[in-house]
Amino acid sequence: MNSLGLALAIIGAACASLFAGIGSAKGVGLVGEAAAGVVSVDPNKFSKVLLLQLLPGTQGLYGLLTAILMLSRIGIIGGSAADLSTAQGLMFLGASLPIAIVGLFSGIAQGRAAAAGIGIVAKKPDHTIKGIIMAAMVETYAILALLVSILLIYNISI
Amino acid sequence: MSTTEYASAVAAVKTMESSLLTRSDIEQFINAPTLSELRMLLDSRTGGETLEDVWKMLSGYAPDCAELKILLYRNDFHNLKAVLKAMLSGRDPSNYYIRPSNVSLETIKEAYASKSADSLPVYMRAAAEEAYEIATRTLDGQLSDSLIDSAALTAMQQSADETGNDFIIKYAQLTTVCADIKTAYRCSVMHKSNQFMETAVCGSRELDKASLIRAALAGTESLFSFLNNTPYAEAAELLKNTPAQFEKWFDDVITEHAESARMQAFGAEPLMAYYIAKEAEIKNIRIISICRESGTDRDTITERMRKLYV
Repeated sequence: MNSLGLALAIIGAACASLFAGIGSAKGVGLVGEAAAGVVSVDPNKFSKVLLLQLLPGTQGLYGLLTAILMLSRIGIIGGSAADLSTAQGLMFLGASLPIAIVGLFSGIAQGRAAAAGIGIVAKKPDHTIKGIIMAAMVETYAILALLVSILLIYNISI
Repeated sequence: MSTTEYASAVAAVKTMESSLLTRSDIEQFINAPTLSELRMLLDSRTGGETLEDVWKMLSGYAPDCAELKILLYRNDFHNLKAVLKAMLSGRDPSNYYIRPSNVSLETIKEAYASKSADSLPVYMRAAAEEAYEIATRTLDGQLSDSLIDSAALTAMQQSADETGNDFIIKYAQLTTVCADIKTAYRCSVMHKSNQFMETAVCGSRELDKASLIRAALAGTESLFSFLNNTPYAEAAELLKNTPAQFEKWFDDVITEHAESARMQAFGAEPLMAYYIAKEAEIKNIRIISICRESGTDRDTITERMRKLYV
């Protein structure tokens, strides 16, 4: 059994959840800071700022989904780990990179956009939806990266 | 801009911006039928908020925001001047102490009592020592005051340059230019010497110190013709009319500058802009109260109103 191949695939799964998770944590944290500022002055705006705070959290979920799919594909989830060559392991590692890298940066970028959107909630609460739409645009790229990662994971022959 | 600093403070300030006074509030105050109704209106709309309250709030939200301190430099140096004068004339300095300030009254008093400026912030030390020396040796209170005023502007410019923040640098430059124009005009009217002007005028990148002094030494007409060839021709024209119009122009220019930070979601700029907006708001309230008490007509009060941030 080639343990290096399996190790590379596991590192790939870890990267997917790790970097996308960091991106989300940073994004959600930043929006949380801004949201707390608004709520400290006007607690009635809690539900509106919460919506914006949730947005950068999705990258972490995409990373988790990718990691679970990958672990399931290589048999770690299910109890019978596949015998992967080094090349196959590298392929799984490569498959994790789109969501790992895009998840990290889009999580941070979406956090910034959503934190700026908090300013709309603060000053023009009737236009909150515009702030949500602008922050949600960043999501597109995280979804595309997730799609590519999933396609790659399912098309690596074991 | 890559910073995401003060996200919480900026969001809080943006929420509070919606409760800043509007043009219609100001009109309502000006047109209040009686003084007691004006006081009631002011109480219900502003709650008697002072700049010290605003400062405490901002410092509470962004305790590590060193850039904000620049806003209080002029108060710090005013207090230095007040304590020096009060101590030399045996009066109580607390009557002249302005709040908010970066340096407490006790710290300044202690520095002068112990004749050591070490307890003062670095940006104040040299000015404190030199002003004391002038005030005690030459007994020229005007010169020591001018030295402190000029040192405040120098400190403001230096600290602004250290931050590398364009908004703060521009704020310091504008403040210095306006103070320098005013000082040069006064010196020119009072036929002050070159030596006095060298101490009193600070100088900045926007307005060359040597040229300004040269023009002021040649008389007010020469000063105005010099200013007419700078971006401050409009200000010079107003100063020629009345110093009050010039003061209003300066306050409005600072508020316009603050407005440039309105769209920013992070950083110290929106916090500074809010403080500047509150400064203008409180000044407007003071002008309305004083003018109404003295029976000034409503049109004159309206003319004197500072530009609002909202």
